[in-house]
Amino acid sequence: MTRLKDLQARFQAGIVSGDDAILTDINDNDREDRRTLFGVYRNAYVLRLAEILGRDYELTHAYLGDQAFSDLAQGYIAKHPSDKRNARWFGRYLPEFARKTAPFSEHKEVAELAALEKALADAFDAADAQPVTIEELAAIPPEDWANLVFSPHPTAKRLRFKTNAADIWMALKDEAAPPEAMLLPEPQMILVWRQDLTSRFRPLCPEEAMMWAEATKGVRFGVLCEMVATFAGEDGADLRAAAYLKNWLDTGSLACVSPDCPQSDLVMGTAH
Amino acid sequence: MSDHKPPYLGFGLGLRPEHYDEILSGEPNVDWFEVISENYMIPGGKPLQILDQICERYPIVMHGVSLSIASTTPLDMDYLTGLKMLADRVDPKWISDHLCWTGVHGVNLHDLLPIPYTQEALDHVVERVSRVQDFLGRRLTLENVSSYVTFAESEMSEWDFVSEVARRADCWLLFDVNNVYVSACNHGFSTRDFLHGVPRDRIVQFHLAGHSHEGEHIVDTHDHPVCNEVWDFYRETVSHFGPVSTMIERDDNIPPLAEVIAELDIARKIAREVQAAKQVIAAE
Repeated sequence: MTRLKDLQARFQAGIVSGDDAILTDINDNDREDRRTLFGVYRNAYVLRLAEILGRDYELTHAYLGDQAFSDLAQGYIAKHPSDKRNARWFGRYLPEFARKTAPFSEHKEVAELAALEKALADAFDAADAQPVTIEELAAIPPEDWANLVFSPHPTAKRLRFKTNAADIWMALKDEAAPPEAMLLPEPQMILVWRQDLTSRFRPLCPEEAMMWAEATKGVRFGVLCEMVATFAGEDGADLRAAAYLKNWLDTGSLACVSPDCPQSDLVMGTAH
Repeated sequence: MSDHKPPYLGFGLGLRPEHYDEILSGEPNVDWFEVISENYMIPGGKPLQILDQICERYPIVMHGVSLSIASTTPLDMDYLTGLKMLADRVDPKWISDHLCWTGVHGVNLHDLLPIPYTQEALDHVVERVSRVQDFLGRRLTLENVSSYVTFAESEMSEWDFVSEVARRADCWLLFDVNNVYVSACNHGFSTRDFLHGVPRDRIVQFHLAGHSHEGEHIVDTHDHPVCNEVWDFYRETVSHFGPVSTMIERDDNIPPLAEVIAELDIARKIAREVQAAKQVIAAE
């Protein structure tokens, strides 16, 4: 199998690295030379991967415009050859690439916008789970509530943004002019999840963000109420905590509510 | 593994998300659907839920694009496990992929890359097909791809290579009418030689698609309607092989469902005409 192995290595290097060694293996035909013929594979490779990125990061493309997005895509393709059978995951490092690579790294909203698009796509086809309903919570005896722990729906992930990328996303989605990019006074937590087969996101206020972060680490509801009281005052703390919990249930963001749920939420994003 | 040849399904289409609503809200005149396996090798969500609904209504065939059966990289058991899980969910009439490779050394080029037609490559592919079939517990169906280059070291024709893979690995064949036409134009061989060079008893499916002319060669882009030359070759193909499950692939510039079904109706009409002509000849 040595000859075939070597030929495939040369063929791939010819596509990915522009190495011409493969041309000695290929025939000219009576109309075109071998470089032109092999060029079909070279051109298709870059075009196909750029098309995948453009489809997966449609709003990042709209924000940057054709030329800048093409530069981003070309740089990404050169840095991250696809290592998965399924093209669905080819672009998964793009937010991180944009965060680290100039000139995009100088515009933090670009990486965050891409991170939001990726998180929404990930939520779209993440694992299924039946969300816990408010009725299921109501069936739990009140004396057990202090011991409840929560696990997020498998589609739910947090992003931490330093810019107004979420506002930019919303404007672009409405095909409106995006607001000018700006750094936020404080980082903003965004919760991304899937509800009724549709990916959604919403910003969390600092108190809810704190409670969600602690809840998904396995902190019990009784302790969460104390943390909410410490965070923004004891007055109405239990009611505030209960309101956040109700919202999580109303939006289908939890997969388990019981004294012994597993935890799996991770902070994603680009702005740590 | 069953020795029975898969059933004749009639006239089908490639399932595309653009048509989900029309398919589920109506009763389009489509006998079966072919799904791109990789599009549903995902954890969950809407695509799998839609697929489940379509599986309840139509026969399904799974068609992969990244098995990479001719690659010299070891078989990807994670991929095969995912493929098998999807097959357990879908219960497809058969599973197909391409007689090609898609990358080596951990890289996937997301293209259907050509094989040198050598004894060495033949032995390699046959051994891999056999292992994949053992793992899946069913026969594979392999499709001839469009190609743009030929290799100096090739020792046999593409149709001899395809036929030997089918015979030695005991697998089925998907005869892509458009791909034969594209490769014949690009490499200067006769479509008839290919047609008569592959074994009739191995063919379980036809593909039809559109292509694009770029300079002096043709590229298999699946973004146009089937052209007249390919329809003519389809007529010859149906006449040669008899009724074989036929479907139209459209992967880009995807038109409304009705337009693709109108194209499928052309295939139906051609197949009917060929069959009627044969009956007239038989009666004489």
